[in-house]
Amino acid sequence: MADENCRVLFLPDNRFVTVARGEILLRAAMDADVHINASCGGSGSCGKCRVLIEEGEVEREPNPKLSEAEAARGYALACQTRVLSDLKVTIPLESRIGDKRIFERAEPTPAHGYLLSAADWEERLPAWELDPPTRKYHLVLPQPSLDDNASDAERIKRGLAVEAGLRDVVIDYPVLQRLPNMIRQSDWDITVTVLDSGEELRAVRIEQGDTTERQSAIAIDVGTTTISAELIDLRTGEVTARASDYNAQVAFGEDVITRIIYAIRGTGLAKLQSVVVGTIWNLIKSLVEQAGIEYCNITHVVIAGNTTMTHLLLGLNPKYIREEPYIPSATFFPWIKCSDIGLRIAAGVYLYALPCVASYVGGDIVAGMLASGIFNTDKLTLYIDIGTNGEMVLGNRDWMLSCSCSAGPAFEGGGVKHGMRATNGAIEQVRIDKIGYEPMIITVGNRKPIGICGSGLIDALSEMFLTGVINEKGKINTDLPTPRVRRREGGAEYVLVWAEDSATRRDIVITEVDIDNLMRAKAAVYAGIEILLSSMDMDVSMIDELLIAGAFGRYLEVDKAVTIGLLPDIGYEKIKFVGNGSLLGAHLSALSREMLNKANEIAHQMTYLELSMNPAFMEHYISALFFPHTDLNAFPSVKEKLEAYRSVQRMAARDKVGEEG
Amino acid sequence: MAFNLPTETAKGKVREVELGAGDKARKVGGENVLPFHLWEGEMPNRPIVAAEVSDEVGELVPALEKALGEVKNDPVAWAKKAVEEWGADAIFLLLTSTDPKATDAPAEQAAETVLKVEEAVNVPVIVYGTEDLDKDAEIARVVATKAEGKNLLIGPAKEENFKKVGAPAIGYKQTVAGMTPIDVNLAKQLNILLTNLGMEAEKLVIDPTTGALGYGLEYTYSVMERLKIAGLFQDDSMTQMPMLANIGTQAWKTKEAKSSEEEYPEWGDPEKRGIMWETITAVALLLAGADILVLRHPESIRLVKQLIADLSG
Repeated sequence: MADENCRVLFLPDNRFVTVARGEILLRAAMDADVHINASCGGSGSCGKCRVLIEEGEVEREPNPKLSEAEAARGYALACQTRVLSDLKVTIPLESRIGDKRIFERAEPTPAHGYLLSAADWEERLPAWELDPPTRKYHLVLPQPSLDDNASDAERIKRGLAVEAGLRDVVIDYPVLQRLPNMIRQSDWDITVTVLDSGEELRAVRIEQGDTTERQSAIAIDVGTTTISAELIDLRTGEVTARASDYNAQVAFGEDVITRIIYAIRGTGLAKLQSVVVGTIWNLIKSLVEQAGIEYCNITHVVIAGNTTMTHLLLGLNPKYIREEPYIPSATFFPWIKCSDIGLRIAAGVYLYALPCVASYVGGDIVAGMLASGIFNTDKLTLYIDIGTNGEMVLGNRDWMLSCSCSAGPAFEGGGVKHGMRATNGAIEQVRIDKIGYEPMIITVGNRKPIGICGSGLIDALSEMFLTGVINEKGKINTDLPTPRVRRREGGAEYVLVWAEDSATRRDIVITEVDIDNLMRAKAAVYAGIEILLSSMDMDVSMIDELLIAGAFGRYLEVDKAVTIGLLPDIGYEKIKFVGNGSLLGAHLSALSREMLNKANEIAHQMTYLELSMNPAFMEHYISALFFPHTDLNAFPSVKEKLEAYRSVQRMAARDKVGEEG
Repeated sequence: MAFNLPTETAKGKVREVELGAGDKARKVGGENVLPFHLWEGEMPNRPIVAAEVSDEVGELVPALEKALGEVKNDPVAWAKKAVEEWGADAIFLLLTSTDPKATDAPAEQAAETVLKVEEAVNVPVIVYGTEDLDKDAEIARVVATKAEGKNLLIGPAKEENFKKVGAPAIGYKQTVAGMTPIDVNLAKQLNILLTNLGMEAEKLVIDPTTGALGYGLEYTYSVMERLKIAGLFQDDSMTQMPMLANIGTQAWKTKEAKSSEEEYPEWGDPEKRGIMWETITAVALLLAGADILVLRHPESIRLVKQLIADLSG
């Protein structure tokens, strides 16, 4: 049922869109590129998005903004209505703005982009087997006698050699301590967990009886802002529980630099380590509870994080990451005992941190490269992780070139007056009417709007630029005939939501300062892309596939990101989303020794380009400080769109003059 | 076998921009070659030399004091002399009096001077404010209106005030010089902004900001050269505007041009030194691709004009 699609026809625009059954009608209108006034983010409180359901079945929330009589006549609030069947919907005049005429428009192509998932691995990755780095072996050992008087440890080693063909297994010291009593209590019937660290085989745990049916691993993405974890059943390879939470280190600074500064003072490092371990511990607790397993089922943990996060988790001094020439303590990390970092899951649980490439290209990127299969393709692929640092990798199976550019936190809502993370009440989709300049917005959770998140900001910029609310330099045109643009001390602003419609009771605005910050962020990312390409003597037209990883929600619209010049204009079909590439890569490495080795190879193989040393960076950056770019010819689809918008606006202006004259 | 000089042909060409109106009109730009590469293409219009005339002068260095004589307090006479005696191809009228940090003369008064100067000479007139964003916008409005149809080159329009300078220029048919701080991309961006405002690209001149010899000349040189290369060889429409090099002000500001013989006896005759400082800056920027050179000293004007004639064969 959930997969069922419905066709919605919007009148008088006469535009069709196909959406999943159960989709909110306002969202369908966005996808169809049909304008309905919507000021409250979809919370049902402004009552402006009234539509008339002509045909078809919907689910309506009763709403005080709509009388029973109206509802009986077929009226509904688009944001409070779910699509249950094919529909015919008329948008009444009062819900449309200025847009009195139906313009000829191209068919809508909602460009949300394709999200890669584990389901794509078959196609993207070489064949790999479920062969985790830890394995359980059930042994029934012969009892010692005067004739067979080998020590307990040697007896186990012999058992592993005979039964499993494992030679030269090292037995962990804590195992030895427990060995003599445990082995006798279980009547020589035991299960040994062996870790293949790549360098040696190590028996890390001994349990009574046969526990081979109970073995799980944990994969964790240790993000600067968010930590996500999965519990994987190692017999089937299936994820049995998922959990995520904010990294509690956020309280000590939002970005890696402030965390490093905190870490190098006094006992700061120990504090940050214990805080992140605390977050991880809570997640593990939640995973174990969700799946209903024992802590001792867990035999290993694989984490992927950026270089600083990996350092802080492992308690390594991050000081020199921040200082020129930006040197991390290590890029490859040995298997360590979880208990060594204060994470006490069970006896003998080891942890592997995926390797980093350089101070600002970490294990999260290596993991993403693994999970997206770039190491296994001939296609020239550009992988971008858009966060506070825009990390990116260009390459294919033969070579990989990476860099990191400081984009700042603008796309995560930082440095933006009403910016926020993509949580409930965050405006995530925006349309602006090209004639009346009235916005249409949807928030996460369909709540009254509180602020704007990354995808909402990208939408808003793109719409403001196309409609001419801002110019190529990001300056607001205060001459427009709408009260939504206004001058304030410190620059002009555009009012996205009036106070009466917002949850904060204040106007939600986008200021010129916000736009500047976003412009700088997108320019840094685009300049990084150009530097990578130009250092290989390539250009954007040669990119076969562009993969976006990172925290952008489902509603980052590719066309909007291209319109503002954040992403190159290479055709929407080439652009795909990886989702949490870091977690996917940690997951693979937890399941397969081969994949884990691949991750190590990738980290070895990848070349790092230090942008602070690159004289061309500034040049590319300045030329990207423009919407979409100083070189408009590099953005043909944007050029086309701009012309279409301008011609509609000219037509409308002519009509207006005609009416007045 | 005869030797053939290898040639590189450009895809694009610099726009031909007309300055002034009627019989005072003069075209600049139009070249499809790097400066004076006449074996590869053409420069239909030689670079022109504009004489800088100011509507208010403070203390001048002796070399300029001597060259100007009585005309220094009379912009009309100064302009006439520059054209008739020194051979200036255009007048660059700097409205120093309007500087809000100094005299702050009203824009209307400055506009009167502009009209008188324009009336008095038979060459195009370039009108520049003092780079005060608001005041320059006001001057542009008043001057453009009062001098409707004269096709003055008005400047400098900057990123922050381009609308206010550009709009009256569009309305009253003037040409605009857009000024950006020594950067190829910024120069191009301002041209895009001005054309999107409605300016015709044929009514625009690039002022890439000039650094004098020893004071950033190499930056200006390289930016001008790159703008020219982008216009010619990448056929980049938004860099195909003629370029103005505002040399006089910068060259005569330098210690080397200003200092007396008493201060630096080893540097030789200050008059010759100042003239050479200005001329050498001009020669470098001529070779970087300047289409309009703004100079102060009559001897520099003579020397640079002579050089242009020599290079043009």
